Amino acid sequence: MQNTVDILDTSSTSPADIEASWAASRPTEPIVRSRGVSKRYVMTADNYVDAVRDASVEIHKGEMVAVMGPSGSGKSTLVHILGCLDSADSGEVWLDGRRVDNLGRRQLAQLRRTEVGFIFQTFNLVPSLTAMENVMLAAEYAGKKRREARGAAQVALAQVGLADRAGHKPTELSGGQQQRVAIARALVNGPKVIFGDEPTGNLDSASSTEIVEMMHEINEATGTTFVLVTHDPKVAATCDRVFHMLDGRVTNGNGERGDAYRGNGHHS
Amino acid sequence: MQVLRNVFRRRLRVILTISGITIGVLALVVMGGMAEKMGLLVDGGTKYYSDKVVVGADGTLYSGSPLSLSKADDIRQVPGVAEVTSGIGGLLDPDTTMSFGMPPMFDGSDMRGEAFESFEFEYAKGRALTTDDLGCVVLGSDMVKKFAAGVGDTVTIRGEQFTVLGILEPTLTAPDTQVYMTLPDAQRLFVQDLPEMVRGQVDQNDLANSMTVYPTPGTDPEALAARINETVAGVEAMGPSAFQDQIAGFMGIFNAIIYGIAIIALFVGGLSVINTMTMSVNERTREIGVRKAIGASDRHIVGQFLTESGIIGLIGGVSGLFLGWVAATVADKLLESRNLDLFLISPRLAIGSVLFAICLGLVSGLYPSLHAARLQPVLALRYE
Repeated sequence: MQNTVDILDTSSTSPADIEASWAASRPTEPIVRSRGVSKRYVMTADNYVDAVRDASVEIHKGEMVAVMGPSGSGKSTLVHILGCLDSADSGEVWLDGRRVDNLGRRQLAQLRRTEVGFIFQTFNLVPSLTAMENVMLAAEYAGKKRREARGAAQVALAQVGLADRAGHKPTELSGGQQQRVAIARALVNGPKVIFGDEPTGNLDSASSTEIVEMMHEINEATGTTFVLVTHDPKVAATCDRVFHMLDGRVTNGNGERGDAYRGNGHHS
Repeated sequence: MQVLRNVFRRRLRVILTISGITIGVLALVVMGGMAEKMGLLVDGGTKYYSDKVVVGADGTLYSGSPLSLSKADDIRQVPGVAEVTSGIGGLLDPDTTMSFGMPPMFDGSDMRGEAFESFEFEYAKGRALTTDDLGCVVLGSDMVKKFAAGVGDTVTIRGEQFTVLGILEPTLTAPDTQVYMTLPDAQRLFVQDLPEMVRGQVDQNDLANSMTVYPTPGTDPEALAARINETVAGVEAMGPSAFQDQIAGFMGIFNAIIYGIAIIALFVGGLSVINTMTMSVNERTREIGVRKAIGASDRHIVGQFLTESGIIGLIGGVSGLFLGWVAATVADKLLESRNLDLFLISPRLAIGSVLFAICLGLVSGLYPSLHAARLQPVLALRYE
């Protein structure tokens, strides 16, 4: 959808016009939707944590969305639930018009193969596999035969600029390169949504910028929706919308524009 | 290749685990080789005795107690008897105290029932004995090594010289350790074993210690044995079931003991696989979470870990088979001078041992694999 340059260069247009133009460009049916989602972690009968409380969000196709908030606010838990990696205790979750909160393990695994992708703060590559094999793994789980998976992985690695490092193991790659391999792995099956849990959390600022720019390029080129958990206002500033969470609740309704987080890295 | 890399991530641990399986399979192959060898002997005996009646002085096969040749004439009068072969035999070396399987023996007979004998001897060299071939022998295949003799050579048995007339093809059963001769020659050797007091009182030419009775066509050997026992005094006739009861029954216990020892060794190896795979799943919990996050189903996870444990079983099985074959071959070579050939590593045993090791690996890996599959992705991802 919008790229970083478009978001920053709005000085000649009024905020209201920008908002209207942005709303008009958005498709009507959300690609990810939650309604009243809650999740409680119970340690003992008297000791529990409400990680997510009554969270209702809508994310539209092609958007770059950030989820921000202090540590323990429930950002990761919410994103895991939206991405079918975890289950809610109550509420509904919809993915591309299909309700997913009531699906069984096998169906959820199927969704994770073909509909969604994940990127993690610690990259989470399989250490004994090369970059190529890590990306192929996702393709093979989706049912591709070895040769087809290799071809798809080559394309994905080329997309993230790592075609020449395909034979290297994660320990032979920098942090930024590892995260690019993780992005390739998330992309290889052409998912509708990619969920990132602090994708730049373990990277230096240069690598962080590189990764964020890459995600925007992919978003622009393929229309893949990105939902990113982040602490970094600079990352949030590049997104179309930002949700803010505190104590398990989404505090800003349907989110606010990402460019509200630009400037000195603070919310303005 | 990926699978092998995963298996050998913790090299020392996996090598130790594989060694456990290897030792178990080695035990299975060696013990099983002994059982196969014994089993072959017993199968040969079962087949040999299946269509005839054996008569002795008492009810024990191979007891060696002497009989009078005149009993053969009495037995021939019993309805259903086609012919009787009288024979006498004894240990080739009277000092033999222990043997595995059939010890080397001399075996003389009057060859009267040859036309009715279903067991066919095949000759590697030379020819069969006739009743006129006094002072001559036919050697079982294992006896060639013992005497280092060929056809036409002279061998010494119990201090007497004999000429080798023929050498049998290997049968893998009792005939391999026999030296065949005429009845008079065998009677002369047998008398040497009798106590001095008795020796002077027996008619050497009337001696036998076993008679083989060939039934007429259509006669049931068991029924014939019963009839002989009712009719002829001073003998014990045994039908085919006697061999089964006395020898084959013992084999069941023998097999149970030696296979039992091997199975216990393998079971211990299996426990080692369970431990290794459980530790592997534990260490790779986070990786399992990642795999599930990128779409691995329960089936993928189970398949992955079962493949790894199966490969541990396969490697252990193949190496155990190889080492077991080496051990058996070396042991047989060392025992050659004592004329002992203890082991038979049959294709059935070889393939069965490896397959058993693979199955052991798979079964041992089942619990850890199922445990891995049931991990919740998000909890697994948080595992430190």
